[in-house]
Amino acid sequence: MAVLQDIVDAYQGKIVKPSETLIHKTTHLLQDGMNMRAFGEYEKPKALGDARWTDELILSTWYMAETGEVPDNLNFKTGKSDGGFDRLDFQFLPESDWLEHSEAIDTKLPLNRRGDEKNKIEIDIPWYGGGMSYGSVSVNVMMSRAKNARQWNSFMSTGEGGYPPELYEVKENVITQVATGYFGVEEETIQAAPIIEFKYAQGAKPGLGGHLLAAKAGEEVAKLRGSVPFVSLFSPFPFHSTYSVEDHSKHLDWIETVNPKAILSVKVSTPHDVDMVAVGSYYAGAHIIHLDGGYGGTGAAPEIAKKNIAMPIELAIPKVHKFLQKEGVRDKVTIIASGGVRTADDIAKAIALGADGCVLGTTDLVGMGCTRCSNCEGGPSGRGCPWGLTTTDIELQEWVQQDWGAKRLDNLYTAMQWRLRDILRKLGLSNVRELRGRTDLLKYIGKEAGE
Amino acid sequence: MLESATHVGLQATDGPLTIDQFGAESARIGRSIADEYHRYHIETEEVDDADPLPHRFLVKVGKVGLAKLIGKEALKYFGQFDVILARPCTYGVFSGPVGGFVPRPKLCVGCLRCEVQHPEFVKVLPNPDLLTLGDSYTTPGHITAIDEEAKKGMVPVRGQGYRGRFGGPGFDGMLTDMSEIVRPSRDGIHGRELIGTAVDIGSKPMHLSFDSNGKLSGSIPEMFTIQVPFIFDLPPGDLGTPQLASVVDSTSRRIDTLACLDAHTVARLGLDAPNIVPVLDNTEASRVSEFPNARLIELRSSPDRPWGWDAAGFDIATEATDAMIGIRIHFEEGWQNRMTQAVESGVKVIHLLADLHGRGSDDTFVTELFKEAHMLLIEQGRRDTVTLFGGGGIVGADHVPKAIISGLDAVTLDLPVLFALQGRSNGSLRQRKQVAGTLPRHLDQDWAEQRLTNLCGSWRDQLLEILGAMGIREVRRLRGEFGRSMIVKHLEDEAFEGIAGYVGGDC
Repeated sequence: MAVLQDIVDAYQGKIVKPSETLIHKTTHLLQDGMNMRAFGEYEKPKALGDARWTDELILSTWYMAETGEVPDNLNFKTGKSDGGFDRLDFQFLPESDWLEHSEAIDTKLPLNRRGDEKNKIEIDIPWYGGGMSYGSVSVNVMMSRAKNARQWNSFMSTGEGGYPPELYEVKENVITQVATGYFGVEEETIQAAPIIEFKYAQGAKPGLGGHLLAAKAGEEVAKLRGSVPFVSLFSPFPFHSTYSVEDHSKHLDWIETVNPKAILSVKVSTPHDVDMVAVGSYYAGAHIIHLDGGYGGTGAAPEIAKKNIAMPIELAIPKVHKFLQKEGVRDKVTIIASGGVRTADDIAKAIALGADGCVLGTTDLVGMGCTRCSNCEGGPSGRGCPWGLTTTDIELQEWVQQDWGAKRLDNLYTAMQWRLRDILRKLGLSNVRELRGRTDLLKYIGKEAGE
Repeated sequence: MLESATHVGLQATDGPLTIDQFGAESARIGRSIADEYHRYHIETEEVDDADPLPHRFLVKVGKVGLAKLIGKEALKYFGQFDVILARPCTYGVFSGPVGGFVPRPKLCVGCLRCEVQHPEFVKVLPNPDLLTLGDSYTTPGHITAIDEEAKKGMVPVRGQGYRGRFGGPGFDGMLTDMSEIVRPSRDGIHGRELIGTAVDIGSKPMHLSFDSNGKLSGSIPEMFTIQVPFIFDLPPGDLGTPQLASVVDSTSRRIDTLACLDAHTVARLGLDAPNIVPVLDNTEASRVSEFPNARLIELRSSPDRPWGWDAAGFDIATEATDAMIGIRIHFEEGWQNRMTQAVESGVKVIHLLADLHGRGSDDTFVTELFKEAHMLLIEQGRRDTVTLFGGGGIVGADHVPKAIISGLDAVTLDLPVLFALQGRSNGSLRQRKQVAGTLPRHLDQDWAEQRLTNLCGSWRDQLLEILGAMGIREVRRLRGEFGRSMIVKHLEDEAFEGIAGYVGGDC
């Protein structure tokens, strides 16, 4: 009877927790398939990639996530978006002046520059993982990222979906996000975190608040968020307790009261006056100004919001950096850039434009198999990502196993750190912090005739 | 409250009202007024396809390879049917009675899991037929977006970030601004606060004048209101069929906007109504009296004076009707003078037209042209005396707010109507007269009206998203708010100044 039921279930497409055998089969097929593509054993899929994430960028990320090395025959540096990072390059020194490629090239980044009594945090690489909520992604994906963050003495943000209990295992490397819906924001989750991140806005949907469509707001997700299962969750915008810089300051005071040691990150989008927003946040008490540009990733956003509202991160970084310099507070605050930062080259360019470090989101997902098909919001099936990334579907989420995911990200970060050091040594810099604001080390690649 | 309530109709009593009576009566009147209030909303409803676009992907499955896989797995996983029957697609491409042997590509979303999982015998390819839609300006991306919006009537929501080029020409080179801590924002988007999309058509005096008795002595506002800042324009090229006229008529009535239709068609089909804007040649200006129900009638240039301003025609028309007379002006050389002359003559509605790629005759893009027109009227101290419509190149929901930021009161829609109704174009879509297209053979009126209504509902909701992000409470305030936009070229100049090799945003 059980066999017959399996046949009926499979034929009817009934969703059940997969058996160990099915998990084993599927994960191996997927992992082998990714490797065969990344290693060039099969041609590049014709439908893979877009202007921002080209087929080669996706495949090279898969390659790095598998091997921990940068590929020889794939462009792992830039996309083809015809602007921003994709038109910037470095002005390397003559080869005779390059430094040795060595672990002595320092990639550490301090996050608290205010000199106050709060946590003195320094991460080993100038980037950490951006917020992806439980509900937008599975616990397996969250834990993969968090375990990798621990491996790299870095961080991963919870996003706005609460704090799954599993995360307490790695709480030293988890940022608790406080966003406008306050999902999962409790004293316990605030006290658990070394860094608290206020999400005022998100680059992919500036001014609009979070979206979790009904199909993905299942029982477990709703339980953690304190909401009704299978009801779409559109977070308000803005914080309905914050309508001024004074309110913003009081907002930060609230966190300080609950967790006096936590350092505070303020995540904002990139409107025209982002420079003034940054200064206001600094004076309100922020340690980190997190700028999220208009080309950033998301689990779900109105298409019109992507790209059309607010500016790309490449254009916001110099604006904020220069303004904070002018105000004399640049060295008191850490600028973190995200929203379209894909590669080690992008990270180095962002730093050269004036950021201290970056936040990665989509890159992590691509490392674990994402093809950027844009069905994270649920897609026609309503079940979310068929690769098991942006889903809490009881079957699909099993396609990403935590240890595998963490290892993929570890490898990817290894390759990215290698490349970052490679860039630094070719610029004659022994420390990533020396790169900040060095636009003199960049060059703009103009269009060639006929382009 | 006392004064207005009394005025509205407080019940007469034998003596002075007690406080309680007054309170009860005021509440009754207030309730009555509230019950009559209707929050504007466009009712959308998903409709089926009549002539579906080519699907995005083709799915090729090697049948021998699939058979071998099934055989191999049947042996390897003998008896474990959940494993053997598992398919690498959650969308049903490989479902159905014969599984992957007859894939269903219309269900494919391009996740590529199947192709990665089974590289030996599965291929997913972009459908070349889709790429043949539209032209270099109105791209397959625009057309598929319009098609989805017209089908579902919803704001398209997707995962992952932006996939396209950095900035770009035309509307892509303009970004809209937002604010981090403003209202009404998302509350407005979801209807808990009001964000108004109504616009006034006509003329407001720049100031009011009163006589010595305190009564108005000068001109007073001559306006009517439509509920969305977009109207349907004349169908371009050969698309002006009676069926289409009937569809835009009923849709514009349903959503409370306007539809420009050729006056001969209006007369022949008996469509004269307040929502219809008959369009006449200048030489036929005297015929305006044939449309007694129209609130607005537009005059277009005569064939013998293709780009000229015809004051005589306007005077004749004004004499013959109480309706407002609008003038259609193409962005051809000297348009600024023609617009100025028209406004000086008392024209209250100017309908500016670029080609369908959004370019004037000197190749300037409409955002610059609309801005120039808006600023010209401001410099002349006349902006509020005139309503500016503008059309040409509006093929995406984001183009509406961007055009309004550039200075328009309302935009006019042309090609989106064709694609909302699942029509097909043939050849270039740049010159209005040369547009060749076909609509579905059997254009069902109800289906078509719902499709257009859905498109308008979706575009209005997307406009609310943009307004909400800015914290702007009504679209009228967006007009000419250049500070609510950012030009990528300018931002690049500021950000990349001093970087070796950077020579300006146009490089």
